[in-house]
Amino acid sequence: MTASAPNREKTDLREKEARFFSLPAGMRCAWFLATALYATNLILAFVLPYFTEHKATYAPGPYAVLLTTAYLLYVLQLLRGKKKSTSDIALVLFAFFLLWETSYKLGWIHNDLLIPSPEGLFHVFVEKPGEIFADVLSSVRLLFTGVVFAIALGTVLGLLAGWIARVREVLLPISNVVTLIPPLMFSAYLIMLLPTFRAAATGVIFFAVFWPTFQGMVARVGQIDPAVIEAARTMGVGTSGMLWKVIFPYCLPGIIGSVSKSLRGAFMCLSGAEMLGINLGIGFFIEKYKSFADYRCVLAGIFTVGVVTTLIDIGVRKLETILVRWTD
Amino acid sequence: MTTSAAPILELKGLCYDYADKKSRFTALDGIDLSVRKGEFVCVLGPSGCGKSTLLRILAGLNRATAGEARVRNQPVKGPGTDRAVVFQGYSLFPWLTAKGNVLFGLKQNGRRYTRRERNEAAMRYLRAVGLEEAADRYPKQLSGGMRQRVAVARALALESEILLMDEPFGAVDPRLRTELQELVSKLSSEEGKTVVFVTHDIHEAILLADRIVVMEPGHIASVVDVPFPHPRVLSDLSKTDEYERLRLLLTLAYYEKTGNLTGEGAGI
Repeated sequence: MTASAPNREKTDLREKEARFFSLPAGMRCAWFLATALYATNLILAFVLPYFTEHKATYAPGPYAVLLTTAYLLYVLQLLRGKKKSTSDIALVLFAFFLLWETSYKLGWIHNDLLIPSPEGLFHVFVEKPGEIFADVLSSVRLLFTGVVFAIALGTVLGLLAGWIARVREVLLPISNVVTLIPPLMFSAYLIMLLPTFRAAATGVIFFAVFWPTFQGMVARVGQIDPAVIEAARTMGVGTSGMLWKVIFPYCLPGIIGSVSKSLRGAFMCLSGAEMLGINLGIGFFIEKYKSFADYRCVLAGIFTVGVVTTLIDIGVRKLETILVRWTD
Repeated sequence: MTTSAAPILELKGLCYDYADKKSRFTALDGIDLSVRKGEFVCVLGPSGCGKSTLLRILAGLNRATAGEARVRNQPVKGPGTDRAVVFQGYSLFPWLTAKGNVLFGLKQNGRRYTRRERNEAAMRYLRAVGLEEAADRYPKQLSGGMRQRVAVARALALESEILLMDEPFGAVDPRLRTELQELVSKLSSEEGKTVVFVTHDIHEAILLADRIVVMEPGHIASVVDVPFPHPRVLSDLSKTDEYERLRLLLTLAYYEKTGNLTGEGAGI
C-alpha cells in the first residue's frame, strides 16, 4: 500500500500533464495569447509613460489588481470547464484594456474628462472605499426589502388569481393597466404618501417587481400540466392543498427563474428611487458625480453596479440549484 | 364471488356528451354496469369508444350528462379518496421523489399515522412494486416503467378499496408490461381491491379480469366472464385451450361492430 502511493501520485501527475497537452491546440494557443495580453497590459500600466502633459496621472496599483483578478477568474473558469468561449472573452477583455490604456497614454483621447485612463477609473475604489461600500450596502438593502416583499406578495396573489377564476377576473384587468405605468411615475406621490424617503424608494422597487411577478405567476398557474392537477384531485386534494402543496411546488422553478429578471427590473429603477431623497446608494452615487461632472467616479459607479448585479445574479442561480433539484 | 353481492360501483343509463359551441359528440350513450366488491373488471375497446370517459366519470373527474354513477350506493359528486386512479400518462408529481409521491398518497388517505409509520408504509408500497432502491429518485430520473410502478404504489397508498386504472401500461415496453400486469394481478387479489381497468389490449384483459366488458363506441357490446383463478401468469395461461377460446371470442366481439379490421392496438 505505502509503496504504491508515490507511484499513484506519479501517474496522477502524468495524467494531468497528458490532459493539459491533450487540450486542443487552438485552446492552448488562445490561453497563451490571453496570458501574453494580460502581461502586456500589466507591464504597460507600470512602464508606459504618459506622452502628454495635461493628463492626470494615477497610481497603477488598483488597475493592476483588477487585471490580475480578471486573469485569475479566467484561469479558474478555464480549469473548470472546457468552453472555447472562455478564452475568447478574456481575449476581448484584455484587448479592450490594451487599446484603452495605449490610446490614453499616447494622447489619442482628447477629452480625458469624459474618458479617464483605466488607472484613473479603478483608482476611485482606493479614494472612496467607505463611500462606495456604504452606497452598495444601502442599495442592496433597498433592493432586498422591495424585491422580497414584491415577490412574496406577487407570488401569493398570482397563485390565488391563477387558480381561482373570480379572483383572476378582478385582479388581471387591473394589473394589465397598472403594469404599463412606469413605477417611477408614481414616485412623487409615494414620497407624500409614505412616511420616509426610504419607504418611498422601497415602494418604487416594490412596484417595479410586484406586477410582473403577479402576472408571471398567473400565467405559470395557467400552464400547469393538467395531468398533475387531475392526479391531485383524484387524491382528494382540496383548494388550499392544491395551492400550497401542488401548484406552488410545481411553479417554484419558474418563480426562482424569474427572480433574476425581476432584479433586473428593480435595478432599472434603482437610481431613480435613490434620487427620491435618501441620498445614499450606488444609483445616487452615480447621479451625484454626474452633476459634479466627475465621470471617472460615474464610470466607477457603473462598474460597481455591474459587479454587484452579477454577484446577486450568481447568488440567485445558486439558490435555484439548491432549492430545485427535480428539474432537468 | 356470488352474483347476489351488492354492487360497489354502479352505472345506470350513463350518458356523456362532449360539447363545444359548434358541435356535440356523444361519447357514452346509456351505459349500465355494476361491479361487485373485490371484482376485477376490464373495459376493453378500441380508441375513441368512450372507455376512458367512463373511467373519468367513475373517478369523478367528468360529470355524467345523463344517468348516474354510484359508488357504494352514493352518487359520485367528484373525485374522492375512496377511489384511487392510475392514469396512462405520467401523472407523478415531478417535485417529489418516488417515496415523496407515495407519502403524498398516504397523507391524503385520511388515516392517522405517526411519521415513522408513514415512512414504513411508503417503503412497504415501494417494495410491493419492486422500487425500494429508487425511493430517493425524482421522476425525471426514473424510466417510464418505473414511473408507472411508482404511480401504482401511490394509488395503493391511498388505501382505498376501489382502484381505477386507465391504460396504465400503454406507454410501457411489452416485456415490462407483462411484468406490471402480473404485479397488478397479484396485488389486487392479495389486497382484495375492486378494480376497473381500461385497456385496448385483449391479452391484458384476459390476464387481469374476472369479467371483461367489451365496448363499441358509446355502448357496451358484450360482457365476458374469465374463469381462470388468480394470480395468473401469462406464459402459463396462453398455452391453454380456454385462453384461445376466450381470445377468439373477444377478438370477434372487439371487431364485430367497430368495423375496425386493421387490428390497431388489439394485440392479436
